[in-house]
Amino acid sequence: MLAVRELNKTYDTKGRRVEAIGEVSFSVADGEFVCVVGPSGCGKTTLLRCIAGLLPPTSGEVHVEGKKVTGPPDGLAVVFQEYGRSLFPWLRVADNVDLPLRAAGLPKAKRNELVAEALESVGLADAHHAYPWQLSGGMQQRVAIARAIAYQPRVLLMDEPFAAVDAQTRADLEDLIRSVWQRLGVTLVFVTHDIDESVYLGQRVIMLSSSPTSVAEDLTIDLPAERDQLATRSDPRFTELRGRVYAQIQKAKQERQ
Amino acid sequence: MIVLRKIGLALGLPVVLVAIWWFASAGSTDFYFPSLEKIVKAFPDTWFGPRMVNDVLPSLLRLAIGYVAALVLGVGLGMLIGANPRLRAVVEPLLEFLRAIPPPVLVPILILIAGIGSTMKILVIISGCLWPILLNTVEGVRAVDEVLTDTCRSYRIRGGLRVWHLMVRSASPQIVAGARQALSIGIILMVISEMFAASSGLGYTVIQFKDGFRIPQMYTGVILLGLLGVLLALLFRLAERRVLGWYHGIRAVQKER
Amino acid sequence: MKVLYGLAGLLGFGVLLELAPRLGLVSRDYAPPTSDILTTLAEQFGRGDFWVAVLDTLRTWLLGLVIAIALGVAIGVIIGSVPLLRAATASTIEFLRPIPSVALIPLVVVLQGPTVEATLILVVYAAFWQVLIQVLAGVADIDPVAADTARSFHLGRWDRIRFLVWPTALPYAVTGVRLAATVALILTITGELVMGSPGLGEEIANARSSGAVPEMYALIVVTGLFGVGANVLTRAAERRVLAWHPSVRLEVRVPA
Repeated sequence: MLAVRELNKTYDTKGRRVEAIGEVSFSVADGEFVCVVGPSGCGKTTLLRCIAGLLPPTSGEVHVEGKKVTGPPDGLAVVFQEYGRSLFPWLRVADNVDLPLRAAGLPKAKRNELVAEALESVGLADAHHAYPWQLSGGMQQRVAIARAIAYQPRVLLMDEPFAAVDAQTRADLEDLIRSVWQRLGVTLVFVTHDIDESVYLGQRVIMLSSSPTSVAEDLTIDLPAERDQLATRSDPRFTELRGRVYAQIQKAKQERQ
Repeated sequence: MIVLRKIGLALGLPVVLVAIWWFASAGSTDFYFPSLEKIVKAFPDTWFGPRMVNDVLPSLLRLAIGYVAALVLGVGLGMLIGANPRLRAVVEPLLEFLRAIPPPVLVPILILIAGIGSTMKILVIISGCLWPILLNTVEGVRAVDEVLTDTCRSYRIRGGLRVWHLMVRSASPQIVAGARQALSIGIILMVISEMFAASSGLGYTVIQFKDGFRIPQMYTGVILLGLLGVLLALLFRLAERRVLGWYHGIRAVQKER
Repeated sequence: MKVLYGLAGLLGFGVLLELAPRLGLVSRDYAPPTSDILTTLAEQFGRGDFWVAVLDTLRTWLLGLVIAIALGVAIGVIIGSVPLLRAATASTIEFLRPIPSVALIPLVVVLQGPTVEATLILVVYAAFWQVLIQVLAGVADIDPVAADTARSFHLGRWDRIRFLVWPTALPYAVTGVRLAATVALILTITGELVMGSPGLGEEIANARSSGAVPEMYALIVVTGLFGVGANVLTRAAERRVLAWHPSVRLEVRVPA
């Protein structure tokens, strides 16, 4: 479904060469939920933007559904970390979710249906007529997720989407995204700095090293498919996996020094 | 009670000032300082007659035409320039120079080119109103949030929808600020274009009164111009509230936090 | 790099204005080529009258601006600091503010004649509001927590002004000065142009009545340079004043 091959992104500004990504390669199967973690500054966001077609790589390629990515590919949606800046403040919630569908030229009846469904599935059925800035941070991110859902993408990319919300909201959103993923069957690449979150959510955790960034380890999470905040997080296997990821990230951080 | 207090505060000072003017000037025999009573009495005869149709309304019409033309030109060009960094770099110093020229100074040139009729007056208004709108639009388009831009790219929001939402509405707070400045300038230029060398219009009429030493009428003209300024400002504010309701909403929410 | 682009733009414009009349695209009668304008401008620099006019305009402009600033800051701080005064004057300010200063032209000409004083009245009137509105916004922006802190430490009035009012209101005041400077220049030139008080505006009017078109353009260029100079100076002042100011502040976009 998604393949990243020897991706490199180097910035050349004013004589300084900054290698945001050294060499990253991995693939994601259809319908898989993959988390990407790494130490701060290792280029996670850059990687995501390259996959999303928002940033051209310096070398290497990204393939989505077999086609090379040269710009934002069809059927791919992105949920950004800064939900406040990603929603249109002059549009009401329903219109925000509706806008990409309008751009795609869908008929009105179909759009209304998709929007209502999407907002219902994120628990915002009552918020159609509110403005985004009238809602809390967590709710705004739900709107962004609803917008991605309504778009019916085949690939969903999420860039540290829950980093800017409080812990309790984050737990709710984590469960929400897992249920959305299971319902829709999308291929999901989830970038995060939260190690626990990556193990809790993903079927695989891809750990990035620090500069020059590459894939340090690709860990399969063999926890049961039904995850629960209480039960799963107290599962001994969770602790093991989590420890593994943590150790890897620590190693990456030390290598940098 | 609170309502009474509010009304009292709002009307108190104005009423006092008008009363002072009334009584201080009552029974005045000074040719140049007629009593307020005389001025008020002269008001209806002076303006509610053929002069309204022949001078006042055409003046306002010219202002409207000039202002709208400046809006269309300013926003259109502003979008083009704002979206294109190189074009902006080339054009910016030139625009800074042109906008620094006090608009009334162009009146003699425009009289040369266009005579003393309606065309000249409309051109004068455009020449002054254009700059704040244009420059503010450029600023507004420049400052478009990059997360929003990325959102549009990945959700493939293009063409008309993109221009409208990402550019026009996003820049609208800035554009409206420019439009507000342009309104003040437009009124000034409407008056000046008629005072300087003209054959009809509100400003022209007031100057005629002055030249003919019809002082009470002249005062009514001055007051009418003042009232016009206030009325247009009020109308603008009402329009702004509708267009920028969302913006005021966000600012209010931010202030609370 | 950017500077080069900008220069290219200016030069391009100059070349356009040079060629258009020469090629007959526009009549030379009302659009003389750039070279004519520039040579006339150089000639003007040699004329004594020109510099007198420049000084007249400069003096009227600066004097009007200074008076407006003094009045605006003083009245703004006083009104802004007393909530009752603020509420009582709000409607009056909102009413007087949008009155176009040019409405006063007939009045002022009749009472004062085509003098510097007449223009000064116009300039002060228009510029004053710019400063006042900004200062009021500045005083209103005082952090209530800081104000409470000052009060609980029993800071005297003078200390409060020094440590609370002044730093908060200063950036607003500087913005007000910048806006006022622009408006003041416009009204100065307008007054001279329309009423005939001495200065560049009057020179332009004279040039027009004697049909000296290149002179007109040359003088217009000078006023443009004035305007640019004013902008540059006030923006530089703004940057210096704000360099030490902790908050990042955008121009107060005061509602219509």
